[in-house]
Amino acid sequence: MRILVDRVRCQNHGQCAISAPTNFELDADGELRYRESFDDEDASDIEDAVDSCPVQAITLDSDG
Amino acid sequence: MADGGRTIGVVGSGIAGLRAAKALLTCGVDAEVVIFGDEAHRTYNRPGLTKRPYPPPGAPGTAMAEDLEVAGLDDDALTWRLGTGVDTADLRDKVLHLSTGETFDYDGLVIASGVRARTSTGGSGGSHPRRTLRGLDDAQHIHDELRASGKVTIAGAGFVACELASLAGKYGCEVVMLESPRRGPFRGLLGKRISIALRRWFARHGVTFLPGDPEPSPDRSLFVEAIGSVPNTEWLRGNGLDLSDGVRVDARMRVPGHEDVFAAGDVARYPDPWAAGRLTRIELWKNAIDTGDLAGRSLAASLGRGAGKPRLGYFPNTTSEVFGLRIQVAGNPKASDAAEVVRGDPDHPDRGVLVRFLRGGVAVGVAYLDEGARFNSTYIELLRSLKADPAGAVAAG
Repeated sequence: MRILVDRVRCQNHGQCAISAPTNFELDADGELRYRESFDDEDASDIEDAVDSCPVQAITLDSDG
Repeated sequence: MADGGRTIGVVGSGIAGLRAAKALLTCGVDAEVVIFGDEAHRTYNRPGLTKRPYPPPGAPGTAMAEDLEVAGLDDDALTWRLGTGVDTADLRDKVLHLSTGETFDYDGLVIASGVRARTSTGGSGGSHPRRTLRGLDDAQHIHDELRASGKVTIAGAGFVACELASLAGKYGCEVVMLESPRRGPFRGLLGKRISIALRRWFARHGVTFLPGDPEPSPDRSLFVEAIGSVPNTEWLRGNGLDLSDGVRVDARMRVPGHEDVFAAGDVARYPDPWAAGRLTRIELWKNAIDTGDLAGRSLAASLGRGAGKPRLGYFPNTTSEVFGLRIQVAGNPKASDAAEVVRGDPDHPDRGVLVRFLRGGVAVGVAYLDEGARFNSTYIELLRSLKADPAGAVAAG
């Protein structure tokens, strides 16, 4: 699985950076930076990040 | 087939109920999990109801219901009973009495029945309807009316009232907010000084503040009451539970005296991680996610599934945006007895202000307001310090 963020929807709320700091962070300008791939041990944090997003900008995509 | 034909009832189809159900499945509980919801919709993103405008029905663009549906609802191990309320519960005989007249026998129960909008009893609404905003159907009505009407009057000062004011502005409506004395925007959560600054921010964006009780406008324009909530616990009466403010549970979301009953989400009142000896009930999306997950894992553990002894290891947090100003809150500022400004000027929240809330000298909450995100890394650092064993910090403090 890999993380996809819809940049059109994302408003840089930063809830994901709180749920899953391993994969999401806001830079100094408040813009979201994220890493697409994640380890199994972080899966529940990633699921939290997906659910926590107030604008539902984050999805998980099976990367085949 | 479930072992021994075990069944688990989840009362409430919001995110707390869904997360409890999913945690049960993740932990390998072999049972039929049935989710009861009195709405006709599967789980949706409730905060999204007031976040942005939507096109009118039939117009191009994504409809609200489709846009807000939560992912991962199509698990074959879940049975959905939508449009089905639970009228009463007998926790001794482990049976639910449904609004359809049926009964449902359970082996384990998750109470995730949430809250409903409070309505004022005062005032003579006459034939003019007062609307409230809690569910997806409410929100669809209100969005339709905001699109069609030029004006909205809002009673209330919390998240729903403030986000609704901002949303109405995006629809091009004239916005009137009714203020009772000492109840400016977010005052109950963030205190007087920030509330006064927020009131100025709202006024600068065209909101008119009128003193007064929740009374519909004489011009019969849209009137919405967003004045708080009432926990949905009536169906649990007669079981000897503490229902004085939601459903009282322990640190693992278990209802005392009932090995097989757990509660989660807006309705659950649990030991406050930031204030030893106190109980708290928190109506935030993230709180519903975390307590729902915990209730499911705790129930699984009581059935001998899952690993270890689950416990609370989180802090609730939320983000709101009003007229372009982002408001982030974490922890439980309401439990504080003092506040200190870490960065910025509380009188100018649009330039960034970061406030730490203290109880007995220990941080119990953080709030960050900004038009941009200049102090976000500092905010996250403060959150991390909250996250680190908050109960231990309070006990040591």
